[in-house]
Order: sequence, then structure tokens, then C-alpha cells
Amino acid sequence: MMFKHLFKLIWNKKKQNFLLMTEMLFSFLVLFAVFTLLVYYYDNYKKPMGFEYQNVWVVSYNNAYQTKNVDSLNTYYEILRKNIKAMPEVRELSFCSFNTPFTNNMSQGGMTYHQKRFDHINMYTAEDSYPATMNMQVLEGRWFNKTDVATKNKPIVINSDFKEQLFGKGKAVGQLIGNNDDKDKMRVIGVVQSIKMKGDYAPAGLGLYQRTDTGSFRWMGKIMVQVVPDASAAFEGRLYKTLANYMKNSNIEIEHLTNKRTSINYFTLVPMIVLSIVGGFLAINVALGLFGVLWYNINQRRGEIGLRRAVGASGNAVSSQLIYESMILATLSLIVGSFFAVQFPLLNVFDLSAGIYISAMLLAIVFIYLLVFVCSLYPGRQAAAIYPAVALHEE
Amino acid sequence: MLKNYFKIAIAVLRRRKFFTFISLFGISFTLTILLVLTAFIDKVVGDTYPDRKRDRSLYVTHLQESGKNAMNSSTLSYYFLSHFVASLKTPVKLGISSGYEGTNTYVNNKKLAVNYKYTNADYWDIMEYDFTEGKAFSKQQIDNADKVAVISEDMKRDYFGDIPSVVGKYIEADNVKYRVIGVVKNVPITSYNLYSDIYLPYTVSKTNFKSDHGYLGGFTAVLLAKSKADVPGMRDEYAAMMRRVPFQSKEYDKMYSRAEPYLQSYVNTGNESMSGVTIVLITIGIFVLLVTVLPTLNLVNINITRIMERSSEIGVRKAFGASSGTLVYQFLVENIILTLLGGLIGVVLSFIAIQVINSFHLIPNLVLSINFTVLGIGLLVCFFFGLLSGVYPAWRMSKLNVVTALKAQ
Repeated sequence: MMFKHLFKLIWNKKKQNFLLMTEMLFSFLVLFAVFTLLVYYYDNYKKPMGFEYQNVWVVSYNNAYQTKNVDSLNTYYEILRKNIKAMPEVRELSFCSFNTPFTNNMSQGGMTYHQKRFDHINMYTAEDSYPATMNMQVLEGRWFNKTDVATKNKPIVINSDFKEQLFGKGKAVGQLIGNNDDKDKMRVIGVVQSIKMKGDYAPAGLGLYQRTDTGSFRWMGKIMVQVVPDASAAFEGRLYKTLANYMKNSNIEIEHLTNKRTSINYFTLVPMIVLSIVGGFLAINVALGLFGVLWYNINQRRGEIGLRRAVGASGNAVSSQLIYESMILATLSLIVGSFFAVQFPLLNVFDLSAGIYISAMLLAIVFIYLLVFVCSLYPGRQAAAIYPAVALHEE
Repeated sequence: MLKNYFKIAIAVLRRRKFFTFISLFGISFTLTILLVLTAFIDKVVGDTYPDRKRDRSLYVTHLQESGKNAMNSSTLSYYFLSHFVASLKTPVKLGISSGYEGTNTYVNNKKLAVNYKYTNADYWDIMEYDFTEGKAFSKQQIDNADKVAVISEDMKRDYFGDIPSVVGKYIEADNVKYRVIGVVKNVPITSYNLYSDIYLPYTVSKTNFKSDHGYLGGFTAVLLAKSKADVPGMRDEYAAMMRRVPFQSKEYDKMYSRAEPYLQSYVNTGNESMSGVTIVLITIGIFVLLVTVLPTLNLVNINITRIMERSSEIGVRKAFGASSGTLVYQFLVENIILTLLGGLIGVVLSFIAIQVINSFHLIPNLVLSINFTVLGIGLLVCFFFGLLSGVYPAWRMSKLNVVTALKAQ
């Protein structure tokens, strides 16, 4: 009954209310966008990193040693490995493919399991010592070892995200998955915790690890080196000289994963901060506008409010009526806004999980309600303070 | 008449200080966002240091080969540029340079991260780097594979410290000693095709670029035409050349590479099915729309409120014979004065914002500034704002009935 009456009041001022509602609708959409991004980043942030980057350095080299002979190629790099490992500051090292953590390098491919295709799988190639170098967690089965050389199906290790997609809660070890055209079957021998390769705020993505083989040294260009916690710049200089003197034709670069993590996070954080500031100011802008309009409306309706007070409505009843009115306005625009927002998970626009959109939507709805409530609180109080005698006298 | 409107506008603004504050806040803040955005874009793509001959240059940055099952896209090889592109007739110069790559050097037990880049001699003829001392390497030095280097001011300070001259001194990078022959002013990393700490002759590279006959590699090129008028011809000649280039393997049946103006090459995604220009325009468009729509709606709301408040004034003026047109005109003028005032505050705010952003050194050597282009755009935006947020309320106002307007009070 009361709501019906309130709707009538809103309808009577539809022109002015329409503009207010459009404004609320747009602020909802902006907030929805900002919150989606924030929720998405936060969701990624609270997942584990998957490895310890603190004391790991990445050595990049290229064009080091050209030979057709596989044996001499392997000997060449085994000597290098011994030389590096002989340094007391080095704990462990592993040669690997160029898609190392916190770089933009990617190598992706597709796999097939039970006729279902999986795309955008990150393909990593690494040695037996890789988990020890990175302090990775093996969740199921095992990592590669020497026994994996001659097996009928090529052994692979997958990350936990990929396992989840392939087998859900089921067992992964021992399963066979096929390559692009489902021909070469590969056997899963282990599952490792997913690594957030693109920094704290990015998803880990699907990952598949292959063991290095005899020819891998031809194209690999990265060495992950785990050093002792107090390794100094002087040691780094020594390591650099050792590498550069051994690989005379190569360009060498040593980078620390801690620095690389900071800089890759920076690229997500800066846009996020800028967007939050812009979103925040837009919200303030809208709040001020709402406040002004509501305040003015109440001054316009002094006669009506005075009359209500005169026939016995309490101050609280008057102020809650005004708050209800603006809340109904907000609800109407939120219904329209949610209709637009809900299309994102339904049409799967940006490949984010529905949960992220829904939490962002709820956050935006709560935020708008709060904003409208706070903005109508003071004008409502003011209305409650109107004395019927004074207000009616003005007419 | 205008002077009168101006007086009225100021009086109205002073009467309702809270509404004035809301309007000014909305306008000035929106303008600040837009001005900082334009300053950024203007700096990143509009700054012509060091390639001042942009209007007669075309840039070649990508080559894509694609077939049924394979797609490969990257920057180009030295072989491709020196073999195919160098055969073009229109360009008077062909600057070839590698993308910057990282290495380390260690001075006094301190590590320095160094980006280096290989160039040919034409590169230095096309680019107009500001040399604070010394000069670029010559064709002779490149042919001799002299170990010489041009370094940036930042590199000079980091490696040698605060000394006046470093020409003739040696800098060690990548375990090789190079003789410094020139120091240039810094280029921000956002000009990613021209930025580097150390510039080296391509002949001193440890990789022999000439032996590799693949098409894809780490190089980009700048083609310089004799005059502005020759640029379209140069682009067509490049396209004609691309049609003659044989495929590298049977896997591919299409090959794309274009000589483009700076802006297109800057946002080239390297993927033919996805134009970088479109993506950038859409992103900026959506952002600007969101940032401007809300404050405009807000202004419209506030403006309507204000007019209703002045209904008695409007009633009186109408009763004395003012036409709707006059009233609309007056209100628009008032609104534009308000927005321009907000614009002024906005410019001051952007100035402060830009100083703050600069002091953070978010991107080294990228110093934003408000220039006349940015200021002009800002004023234009303000004017547009004033019209947009004033038209509807003014129309509502002119529709007011004289009797109701007078009675309302």
C-alpha cells in the first residue's frame, strides 16, 4: 500500500526522476566495471604463488655453441653446469625453455582429451632439477627423473589448474592425453601446484611441463639459478664473468626474479590504481549531485511535508518516506543496470568466471544503495525538522 | 548584453555556493582526467624526439607469415631488410636497428642493467638525436666493425658518474669494451623502437646477422622519402615488393608486412586480423565516454534544479516580453561561463596532477607537460560540456508557463 503510494509520487515527477535514475544507472555500470577488475585481481592475488622466487636468478643467453653433434653439445653444457654449480653461492640450477616466470614470453599449444580440445596451454620444458631450483610443490605423482628417457608414451607433468579442467577432483597420474590432433598420447606422471607466471595479480593459466631431451640444448636460452640468501653483487659479477668467458659468442643477462616480479606487478597495479581513483572521484561526483538534487527537492516539497506533519505523521515517518523514495529510485535503476551487467557472465564476454562478475555486481549494488542512503539521510533529517505551522504558513 | 549575462551568472553562482561547488567539482575533475590522458598520449605518440622527420618517414616493424596450420609473426631479420627492402628505389635512406635487449655490466661491485641496440649508419642520418658531446658512428666505422658506442645521458651518469666528458673512455657491456664516441639525450622507453642505453654498430654483434637468411628476426626499419609527396609512392612500392617476395616454406600461403606511418606502426599488434589502431581507439573511446557521461548527467540534473529555483525570475522576464530564444541564449551563456570557470580550475588541477605524476617517475624520462595542443583540447572539451549540459535544461526552462512560473513562489 505504502509502496504503491510512493510509486505514484515518483511517477508524478518522472521527468526529473528519469535523469536521476540514468545517473544512478551509469554510476552502477562504472562501478561494476571497476569492481570486476578489482575482484578479478584480488581473486588471483589470494591464490598461492606456487614457488619461491626470492633467491632465484634468471640467466639469459643466446647463440652460444653451434654444432651438429648432440654429444658434444651436451658435454659443452654439462661442463657449464659443473662450473656454475661449483660456486659455493649456487644451490641449484636448471636449464629451461624461454618462458620463465614474470616475463612476457609465452609458448602456448593445444591438447586433446576425450575428443575435447584445450587451447592456450602454456608449454614449459625443464630439467629434472627444476622443482628443486624453484621450490615447487608436487601435489600428485612425481616430477621427471632419469627413468623417463625411454617410455612408450611421453611423460608429462601438468599444473593444478590444468588438472582441475581435465579431471576435476579425479586422479590425474597415469591418464593419457593427446596432442593437437589427438595422435601422440602422453602420460601424466605428476601434478604440480600452478605457478603465477605473470605476477601476483594474473591467473596462473593452464600449464604443461615436458622433460628436456638430448636436442633441447640447441634452442633453450634460460638458466634458473637458485642462490644462497646473502649472495652479493660481487658474486653476481663473478658468475657473469664465468658465463661470459665460457660462452664467448653469447649475449648474457642476469636478472633477479624479485625485481622482475615487482616490475610485472607494476603493470597491473598502475592501471588498477588509476581506475580506482577515477572511479572514486566519479562516485564522489555522483554523490554530491544526488545530495544536491534531493536536498533541493525537499525544499520544494515543504508544503506537502508540512501538511503530512500537520495530519499527524511523525518526523521519523517523513524522513523514512524520503529515504524510501530514493531507495526505490535506486532499485529501479539497479534492475536495469543488472540486466546489462548480467549479460557479461551469460555471454562470457571476457572469459572470466561467473563468480567474479556476480561478486562485482553485488559489490556495486551495495555501494550504490549505500551511496543513495547516505545522500538522502541528511535531506531526510532536514525534512523531519520542518514545522508544520511554519511550512504551511509559507504557502 | 553579454556583460549583463556575465554579471547575472556570477550573481547566480554566488547565491547557491553548494551547487556551484558541485558543478565546478564535476567539470574540473573530468577535465583533469581528460587533460592528463591527452598529455600522456601527446607525449607518447606526439613527441618527435628523435625522429623529427616523421612526416616523410615510413616504419616497417612486423612481418607475418600465415598458412592453414601455422602463423608466425615477429620483427624482421637483417637479411630481409638489407636484401629486399634495400632494393626499393623511393627511399633515400634506410635506417635499420635492432630492438633493445638487456644485458648487465658491473662497476665497483654494483650491477647495472643495460639495454643495447644495434644500428646501421643511415639510422643516424634519419634520426636527429641531440648529442651533448661527440657524434654518431660513421659508415666507415661500421664496415670496420669498430667497437664504438653511442650512449645515453642516463647511462653516462650511471656508469661514469658526474664527470663532464666521457668521449674516448671505455664502457664495458656484455663483457666487451666499447669506446664511447657520443652521448645523446635520453629517449623514454615508450618510444620502444628508438629507445636504448647503448647504441652499437650492427657489425660488432656476436651474432652474424648476414649469415641468417630467414625473414624473421629482431630488426625494424625506417624508410625516409625525399619529400612528403613521395611517401604514398614509397608505401605502394613497399607493397609491390611484398608481392614479389618468395615464401620461405610451403607451410605458408600468405605474407604481410607494411611500411606504415609512425602511429600505425606504434600500435601494430603483429596480428593481421586485429588492427592495433581499432583496439586503441575503442579503448580510449569507452574510457572517455564513461568519464564524461556521468559528470554531464550530473550537470544536467543540477542545472535543471537551478532553473526551477529561478522560475520567478524567468516568469518576470517572460512577462516583460523576453522570447524563449533570448532566455535559452542567456542560460547557455551562463552555463558556458560556469564550465569555463570549471575548466580554468581543471587546468590548474591538471597542472598539479602532471607535476605529481612526473615526480613519481613512473616511466623514466617520460616528462608530461601541458602544451598548447592539450590546452586547446581542454577548452574545446569545456565548451562542448557547457553546451551539452545546458541545452536540455534551457529548453525545459523556455517551456515554463509564465503564470505557473510566477505563482510557484
